[in-house]
Amino acid sequence: MKRRKLKDNLAERRSARTAFWVVIVAAVTLEATSLIQTYYAQKNIKEQAGLRAQTQLEYTRLNILDIIDQAESAVRNSIWIAQWCLQFQDSLSRVTYRVVNDNPVVMGSTVALMPGFSKRYPLFAPYTCRVGDSLALRSLATEEYDYPSQEWFTEPVKQDAGYWSEPYIDTGGGDVLMTTYSVPIKDRQDRTAAVLTADIALDWLIDMIGDIKIYPHATTVMISRSGQFMMSRDREMMRSTLIDIVNSMRDHRDFQKLDHAMKAGQTGSTTIKYDGDEYHVFYAPIVKTGWAMCIIVPSEDIYGSIRRMGLWVLLFQVLGLALLILILNTYFKNQKKFNALNEKKERLQGELRIASNIQMSMVPKTFPPFPDRHDLDLSASIVPAKEVGGDLYDFYIRDERLFFCIGDVSGKGVPASLVMAITRTLFRNVSSLQNSPMKIVTAMNDSMSEMNESNMFVTFFCGVLDLHNGKMHYCNAGHNAPLILTDDIQFLPVEPNLPLGIMKGMPFVEQEVQLNYDDAIFLYTDGLTEAENINHELFGEERMKEVLHERRSAQGHMEAVQAAVSEFVGDAPQSDDLTMLFLHYIRPGEEGSSERHLTLHNDINQIPQLATLIESIAREKQLDQALAMSLNLALEEAVTNVILYAYPPKIDGTVDIDATIRKDSLQFVITDKGSPFDPTVVPEADTTLGVEDRPIGGLGIYLVRKLMDSVEYEYTDGKNILTLTKKL
Amino acid sequence: MEVFINEEANATVARLVGRLDTAVSQDVSSALQPLMDAASGTVILDCSQMSYISSSGLRIFLGIRKEAAAKGGRVIVRNLPDTIRQVFMMTGFLNLFEIQ
Repeated sequence: MKRRKLKDNLAERRSARTAFWVVIVAAVTLEATSLIQTYYAQKNIKEQAGLRAQTQLEYTRLNILDIIDQAESAVRNSIWIAQWCLQFQDSLSRVTYRVVNDNPVVMGSTVALMPGFSKRYPLFAPYTCRVGDSLALRSLATEEYDYPSQEWFTEPVKQDAGYWSEPYIDTGGGDVLMTTYSVPIKDRQDRTAAVLTADIALDWLIDMIGDIKIYPHATTVMISRSGQFMMSRDREMMRSTLIDIVNSMRDHRDFQKLDHAMKAGQTGSTTIKYDGDEYHVFYAPIVKTGWAMCIIVPSEDIYGSIRRMGLWVLLFQVLGLALLILILNTYFKNQKKFNALNEKKERLQGELRIASNIQMSMVPKTFPPFPDRHDLDLSASIVPAKEVGGDLYDFYIRDERLFFCIGDVSGKGVPASLVMAITRTLFRNVSSLQNSPMKIVTAMNDSMSEMNESNMFVTFFCGVLDLHNGKMHYCNAGHNAPLILTDDIQFLPVEPNLPLGIMKGMPFVEQEVQLNYDDAIFLYTDGLTEAENINHELFGEERMKEVLHERRSAQGHMEAVQAAVSEFVGDAPQSDDLTMLFLHYIRPGEEGSSERHLTLHNDINQIPQLATLIESIAREKQLDQALAMSLNLALEEAVTNVILYAYPPKIDGTVDIDATIRKDSLQFVITDKGSPFDPTVVPEADTTLGVEDRPIGGLGIYLVRKLMDSVEYEYTDGKNILTLTKKL
Repeated sequence: MEVFINEEANATVARLVGRLDTAVSQDVSSALQPLMDAASGTVILDCSQMSYISSSGLRIFLGIRKEAAAKGGRVIVRNLPDTIRQVFMMTGFLNLFEIQ
């Protein structure tokens, strides 16, 4: 009991371990799959985002360049007029008017003279600008403004080239964000004489980049050369949060890198972290103006969907694993119950197996059962439908008689098997004292009827075959009629009688049949004739006879019938026990042996023929010389006896010598029709006597007995039959 | 069977060659008559070339032995092959003869 508990625990622990590993493996596989999936999805989305942003940036950049080109062209196209007008300073305002009037993108324009260039006006800067739908002319040469110190003036002069100013809020014309393009104007002496400018409003730019919404929370900003954000004042309020973020980003190491990259006019993208959040920044420069445009996208916008998907996947994974654990748990619990049930079944089956072994050991199972006998070939088989069955057969030889039987207990399984055991025991007990099958059957019936409380009965057939003469006595107790195989196959005539165990004192009739050499008897139970195939057809007596028609050994018949039944039945389950017994009565020495025959006349001169016979046998069996001489001597003495004494003098008589050569023995049957004489009863010669007392005769028969293993005499049908046997 | 009889110094020697079975026993018995006659002295039976003996042969041997016993002579059996020695042993003849 303790051991079983230990075993259970072990099994449980083993199952738990298995379950654990199944869950672990499932979890790892799921997780790995989703990680790989996420990785590639993220990579793909990132590439897509980059592409989108770059496309947008390029589109915007081209738009901006278009405007800028227009402004630059407007200025460039007016340079020659401005140069020409340097002498007529009052007409310079006309130049500015023209620039503004001819170019819708230009908001304002001025030609500012270098201080000291004009004798008349130390500072001179007529300025035309749009006010509403009309143009207004102003002068920038005021004390407060001090245009020569303005960036738009100083830088182009310094660089001696066209220059785009830093964006600025124009206070004069309605608080708009502007930028100015200015170029130096040279006089004839190639001295810088003035600066021609065109102002451009950047509101459209702000609107344009404000409209870029590649992601819900994406922000597009334009950064000027000095790092200022370009936006109008009203929008500044709305974007204060972003400004804060980006402003604080400025100090960030990553941002500085970005800033640097943008200023270097590079296109690209980078990732920066701010306050725990991650942002992707895509940027592109506008080289002409020194601006940089960048789209800032929170990572959440790009990867949000993937992260949400990941969360869902994770949720389902957890649910799935939980379900798996639940299923495994239930499975192992059921397995435990199943195992317990199985164990019980196995124990029961083990016991049945033992019972089956015991039962099978009750019937003779070694074939051929009598290897020393050459007058009998017998085989039997029993195939129970269940582990144990109610069929039986038995046979044994006592006093040169073969006792054999076959029986079928009503019912199947364990109860039938018990009755079978009793029946077989009774048969052995009763037949050990009785030679008559009728008396055996009667005694068995009385005994079984007395104790038959379960009302089980047995159909039974009992036979006793006298192996000397082939006479078979038999008694049937309600069993199927056996087959007798002579030249053809017929049912043995049987009195039906009642089965065993029905009522005490029932009469049974004994019958008799003469078996000739080569005749055979086939016993069977109805498990053979009533074997059913799947169509519920019966194997039947005709098929049985047909199989037995061919000539085979007893064992061969067993196998052939079994094979025929198996083939007929097919996949149908065996419905009843199947038991058979085949006995073949054969002429002794017929199988595996050879024979020699010799007929001599009662003439002593024919004696040397015996030597010739023995020589041929000795050659065949490769006998040594001493043994050959012993056989010769014994045979000669026996035959001499007949020649000299069996027939009256001068009367011709014969002596037949039949030699049978077997594997392990030699037999000589010496037959004559002379006067009866039994040499086996002649008193033994005394070989210890001295010379004087020694009789001259009597040694012949002494030698025969001494040299052979058995000497048997029989007088039948007027014949002396002397059988000499020598074992090899 | 062939029988050769020689007179040796103080003995009559019979050499038996071949099979001594019932069929030839009558002839052999006659051929050995000189030994019966010489049974008062020493008689030697040389069996070295004998291959078989039956009870009738044994009977001849016994006859010579009885004759010698009656006349006070000696019978010596010489050179018995194993197979024939076996028969002598079985029948107690080894004790009846002087075996050389």
